[in-house]
Amino acid sequence: MKSVRIPILKLYNCLLVSIQWELDDQTALQFQEDLLHKIHETNANGVVIDLTSIDFIDSFIAKVLGDVINMSKLMGAKVVITGIQPAVAITLIELGISLNDVLTSLDLEKGLEKLKQELGE
Amino acid sequence: MNSLIINYIDNHKEHILNLWVEKMKEKADERVLRVVSNQVFVGTSREFVEMVTSNLNDENEEYSERLRDFAEKVVKLGWPISFVTEGIQVFSNIVFDGIKEEKLVTEEDEMKLFYGIYKRTNPMTNEIVNVYSTTWERTVSLQKIALQELSAPLIPVFDGISVMPLIGAIDTERAKQIMENLLNGVVKHRSEVVLIDITGVPVVDTMVAHHIIQAADAVRLVGSQCMLVGIRPEIAQTIVSLGINLNQVTTKNTLKKGMEAALEIMNKKMIQVGEISEDSNIKTI
Repeated sequence: MKSVRIPILKLYNCLLVSIQWELDDQTALQFQEDLLHKIHETNANGVVIDLTSIDFIDSFIAKVLGDVINMSKLMGAKVVITGIQPAVAITLIELGISLNDVLTSLDLEKGLEKLKQELGE
Repeated sequence: MNSLIINYIDNHKEHILNLWVEKMKEKADERVLRVVSNQVFVGTSREFVEMVTSNLNDENEEYSERLRDFAEKVVKLGWPISFVTEGIQVFSNIVFDGIKEEKLVTEEDEMKLFYGIYKRTNPMTNEIVNVYSTTWERTVSLQKIALQELSAPLIPVFDGISVMPLIGAIDTERAKQIMENLLNGVVKHRSEVVLIDITGVPVVDTMVAHHIIQAADAVRLVGSQCMLVGIRPEIAQTIVSLGINLNQVTTKNTLKKGMEAALEIMNKKMIQVGEISEDSNIKTI
C-alpha cells in the first residue's frame, strides 16, 4: 500500500504543515524525510505544524515529532506546534513526553505570530 | 420447631418486649439515647416483634416488602446500625433463653431451636444492613457529584487570561479532573496565560506538586502558559524542603502579582481613568 504524503506548504519564509488525519508509522517517517528535504530546498527558517484535527497520538508518533523538531532546529529552522488537543496533551504527559523545548501555540494564527516573534521580524 | 417459636413469642410478647427494651437501654450509650426517644423506641420495638412473628407466619413477597419498609423506617429514624443489629441479636438471645428456661425443648433440640431463631432473624439483619448501605452509598455518590461540581472551575478574566482557583485537598482523581477542565477551558476560551491559584490548598506534598507540574506541562503543550499563584510561606517551605523542582513553572505569591505578570505577557496594562477620588477606584485595561 502506498502511504499518503502530508502536504507541506511554503508561506514566505515559513513552511506550513497541517496534519489532518491520524498518522501511521510509515507516513510519519515519510513526513520526517519530506520536511527536512523541503527545509533544505527552500531555506525556510520557520515551520508551523498544526495538529488541530488530531485527537490521538501514540508514543512512536510523539517521538517522531520530537525528532523532526530537533532535526529542523539543527537545520536552522524554528518549529512551532499548534492546536494540540487537550486529550492529546494528557496522553503525551501520561506517556512522559513533555516536549520540553518545543514552542507551542493555541492555533495556527497565534503560532505564526509566535514564530515571527521568535525570528525577530 | 417453628410453631413452638411462634407460640412462645406470641404468648410472651409483652414480657419479651419489656425485657428487650430494658436490655437495650443498658447497652445504649448517650449518643443513641439522644436520637432515640423512649416512645419511638418502644413503638418500633413492638413493630419489630410483630414483624418477627409475622415472618414466622408467612414467607412470601408481601413479607419481604414489609421487611424493606420496616428497614427503611429504621434507617430514617437515624439509629446507628450497630445498635439495630445488636438489638436483633439481643432479641434472639432473649427468645432462646426464654424457651430454654421454660424447658419447652430438650437439650438435644437446643441446636435446632437456635437454628430456628437464627433463620428467622437473619433475613432481617441482612435487609437492614442492606438498606443502610444503600442509603450510605447513595449519600456518598451524591456528595461526590456535589464535590465534583465545586471542584475546578476555570474562569476567563480577560481576553487570553484565565484563572483557576483551587480549594481543598487535591487527590489523584481530582487532579485528573483539574487537568481536563484546565485544558478544555484553555482551548475553549483561547487563553494564553492561565493562573492556578493554590491559596486554598492546605497541603502541597510531592504528589500534589507532581500533578501541578504535569498540568503545567500539558498546558504548555496545548500552546498556553501556566502560572502558579497563591504560594504561602509554608507551602514554599514544604516545596523546597521536599526538593521539588518547580523551576519550569512561573510562581507568584498572590493572584494580584500573577495577574500583573500575566497582563505584562499579554502586552496589556491596567491604567487609571480620570482623577483618583475617594470612592471610585475603577480600573480598566
